[in-house]
Amino acid sequence: MQNSEELKWALLIASLAMLTMAFCMISFVMYYQKRRFEEEKRISDIEKNYNRLLLDTALNSEETERRRIAQDLHDDIGTMLSLTKLSLNQLSKLVGSSGNEKEDQIMRKSQSLVEETILHVRRITRDLVPTTLERFGLMEAIEEFIHKLEEDNNLAITFLANTDDFPRQGQKLELTLYRIMQELVNNAIKHANCSKIDIRLEINDQMIGLKVTDNGVGFDPEKIKENNLAGLGLLGIESRLAIVNGTVQYEKPEKGGASAFAQIPVMPVSDSKPEPLHPFRRERVNI
Amino acid sequence: MFEIFISYCFRNPVSCIAVFITLLPLILIILKKAYIDPTFRLLLVYLTVKLMIDIIMVRSAANHENNILFFNLAIPVNYALLGGMFYYKFNSPTLKKGIIGSMVGFLAFTAWDIFNSNPVISDLHNHRAVLFSKTVEGVLIITLILLFFYELIKSLRIPNLLTFPFFWVCSGLLLYYSSFIFIAPVLHYTATWNHSVDIGLTETIPTIFEIVCALCFSVGIYHFSAGHYAKQ
Repeated sequence: MQNSEELKWALLIASLAMLTMAFCMISFVMYYQKRRFEEEKRISDIEKNYNRLLLDTALNSEETERRRIAQDLHDDIGTMLSLTKLSLNQLSKLVGSSGNEKEDQIMRKSQSLVEETILHVRRITRDLVPTTLERFGLMEAIEEFIHKLEEDNNLAITFLANTDDFPRQGQKLELTLYRIMQELVNNAIKHANCSKIDIRLEINDQMIGLKVTDNGVGFDPEKIKENNLAGLGLLGIESRLAIVNGTVQYEKPEKGGASAFAQIPVMPVSDSKPEPLHPFRRERVNI
Repeated sequence: MFEIFISYCFRNPVSCIAVFITLLPLILIILKKAYIDPTFRLLLVYLTVKLMIDIIMVRSAANHENNILFFNLAIPVNYALLGGMFYYKFNSPTLKKGIIGSMVGFLAFTAWDIFNSNPVISDLHNHRAVLFSKTVEGVLIITLILLFFYELIKSLRIPNLLTFPFFWVCSGLLLYYSSFIFIAPVLHYTATWNHSVDIGLTETIPTIFEIVCALCFSVGIYHFSAGHYAKQ
């Protein structure tokens, strides 16, 4: 009888111990799995941030290099050309007084070439560093860009913003939007064979949207993604957007052409502004 | 006949709940169309076989007949079906081969155990529970569960285990077999027709965890999504 009682207790304790172990095992698996997932997520976040930092640094370097070249063009070649123009003007007076028609003609041609070169240098400098963007903001910079394009090409470009007084954004954000707009419009001109481009800029409390639509041959965004056909331009757009937590969607409108819609969250504006192009001052600009 | 059955159910409510609660995961598998997954198809077969054997055992018990033979015969069948579920879950070919080998080996072992525990096999009235097989079945199933848990942790494929159906199935089985593993060999000595020994509450523990196991199965099947499975 006593043996039976002992057996009951032994079995009960052994079964309860085994059950406790089973419960612990289930809890451990759940806890360990959760912890490993959190750890993996943390590592993935670190990797993502690191990649973003790398991209940011690369783009900053690119902008700094553009600025340095623009500065060199402005300060060195620009100054030299201005001095050359001045010298040619003085020489022209001397040649004009001698009354030699041929010499005068060569002189005027040289003056015109120098003036043209000065204009080219100015245009290249402006293209390298969008000074209008820094001074007056995104809307003015886009308008200027469109104006220049319409002069050079037989294109109808429309630009619409959902507000007349587009608030100034941080430099990085404005530059990102400007470069993306530049890339999308250039793509449309180069590849889409279009005659009309429509640029729309929208802002609300949370997001800034930039939509570029053309009436060209269009492309299938899914096919491009599937076949890894995205060129440096589209990859560049995605890289720039990744830094500012933005997204881009490509669509193929039913009426034809292509449309790209980039969205960037509104960020607080920082006070630091890049130095304007200025002779004798060369500083590294952190955008 | 039916009255005897009902009267037995009233006298042994926990055992009868353990039998009929099997209907819950069974119906859920059909409603949620979980049978499209081969693992849950085997679980459906397992639950159907279990329900049938359990009803036969309850009927025999109600008629004061020895039902231990069904208990013994169910052991290799249960292991084959549950092992089959893990066969579909493991990716490693070695493990798959191991499971098939263990099924065949366990069938032979159980046959030997039945004959070893019952020298006069034709005497069904005094048929006794197997001495080792149920415990070995428990050890094998627990090993498969632990291996599956190890693979689950290693692969990190499931973000939330609480919504992963097979995790619930494994948890239910782990609890049930853990509760039975020490009691199973004792049944050979206590569950005899002429000299049965009462081990009290201890005997009810596996029955309670059989109910818990069925509930765990049900929760797991509830989380099964046929649409999601089709996308995989």
